[in-house]
Amino acid sequence: MITSILKLIVQIIIILLIAPIFTGVIKVLKAKAQHKIGPSIFQPYYNLIKLFKKDLVVSNTSSWIYNVAPYIYFVTSLTALLCLPLVNQLVGFTFYTDLLIIVYLFVAGRVFMALAGLDTGSAFGGMGSSREMLVSALAEPALFIIIITVSARTDIASTNVSSIYNYMVNHTELAFTPINLLLFVSMLMVLIAESSRIPVDDPSTHLELTMVHEAMVLEYSGRHLAFIELGTHIKQLVFMTFMANILIPVGFNVANIFLGFGIYLLKIFVITILVALVELNTVKLRLYSIPNFAAIAFIVSVLGFLTSFILK
Amino acid sequence: MYNNALNLLSILILISSFVLIANKRQNSYISTFRFQSLLLASISLLVSIRGMLVHKKFDEVFIIFLLIVLFKVILIPMVLKRTSQKVEYTVEKDFFINIPISMLICGGLVVLSWYVIYSIEGITNLDTKNYLIYSMSVVMIGLFFMISRKKAIGQIVGFLVIENGMFLAAMLTTEGMPMFVEFGLFFDLLTAFLIMGIFVFKINDTFESIDINKLKNLKG
Repeated sequence: MITSILKLIVQIIIILLIAPIFTGVIKVLKAKAQHKIGPSIFQPYYNLIKLFKKDLVVSNTSSWIYNVAPYIYFVTSLTALLCLPLVNQLVGFTFYTDLLIIVYLFVAGRVFMALAGLDTGSAFGGMGSSREMLVSALAEPALFIIIITVSARTDIASTNVSSIYNYMVNHTELAFTPINLLLFVSMLMVLIAESSRIPVDDPSTHLELTMVHEAMVLEYSGRHLAFIELGTHIKQLVFMTFMANILIPVGFNVANIFLGFGIYLLKIFVITILVALVELNTVKLRLYSIPNFAAIAFIVSVLGFLTSFILK
Repeated sequence: MYNNALNLLSILILISSFVLIANKRQNSYISTFRFQSLLLASISLLVSIRGMLVHKKFDEVFIIFLLIVLFKVILIPMVLKRTSQKVEYTVEKDFFINIPISMLICGGLVVLSWYVIYSIEGITNLDTKNYLIYSMSVVMIGLFFMISRKKAIGQIVGFLVIENGMFLAAMLTTEGMPMFVEFGLFFDLLTAFLIMGIFVFKINDTFESIDINKLKNLKG
């Protein structure tokens, strides 16, 4: 009991330390590809430290939802990441959870963020909330089908994380099957849609035509904004961990914890490079083109589901 | 290992034909077609290398690989790009059915070919079944692409994608057909492509557009 709690604490500390760096890596890679100098990899950390030092500005007309939403968003993202096995030895509380819980944790956080966006009564907040709900509703079917396909491949066909984990540890050769490739492509698109990356949402601008996530959190400042940003970094890491540990379980069964952690970081880094490549080669889609993007993700995941019947 | 690689490449070809359906502009059709042909070329390279390793003599599929790279990856996309630059077009929207619905229809086509191939008795190898499903879906998607686009260039690309799908089926199920059959196929393709390319200019001359909807208009 004590050791599992200790493991959980270690895992939380590791997550908080490594989550923002991948956003920094994407920024640096994009800047280098465009022959710019770019910020340091640790820029997200500096931003977070700066935001934690600043004062809060809260609108007079806002209610308690406005104050509580950033914390709920942060905690739900962190809990979702703790549901997934990070390294072979550090499994968090994966032995009690279900993969579908991850989806519902995100929904809970997102509902509070959308309510908070509506809460202050500004025009931008409401617009951002409605757009964010649209994007998430479009990305959800693909995510569900991915989860169901992953669980249908285990021996007892359950969505329990521990049974999937046990299956993956013993079947690392599954990594390069067509099913996993299809699910990987679909999951990459879901990752882009959910963590507000470029073809769906531009996280670096504050232009009213293109903002989705940014418009919703426009009113926040100081500590609240820091928690929201940290929550977004962690949310991105959840999808990357899903792709790295469940869809490509290569090197996941290494007994040595440090070696396993190194392999994990390497896989996440490769996925980060993929995301940066997608960002470099595409432009921001119009809001009405996002259903097309989501339809591709959905169809690709359905194909993965079908293929899992052919190739058992 | 070899079967896994072939499986991966064939499924990438299927994904690339889905990307083709999702494309909106003519230039992106052409680059997606080029990517698909590159994947087809790498499949033929794999097949030929394995043939050389197993039989310890020169495999004719290697020549097919060179031909695919020369024609489908370099020459045809280049000529198509030049054609689309010469022919002006003004209509922005190039498709009859909007993209999400056409994606769903193509998913349905994959299910259909899955069903058809599964009801054929006598294919015992699971991988062969899989390859047949993918290549047949690529053919069906190419056909759907042809009927869902308005521009003549989109239809040429659809024709080439159908050809790619048939090539994929031939390559993966027979590990390389006889050389004469392959040459015949290539010759057919090139002739059809040339004729279509000339027709695009003709249509453009007569109707001042390559929108094939206008072919219904009477012209004196």
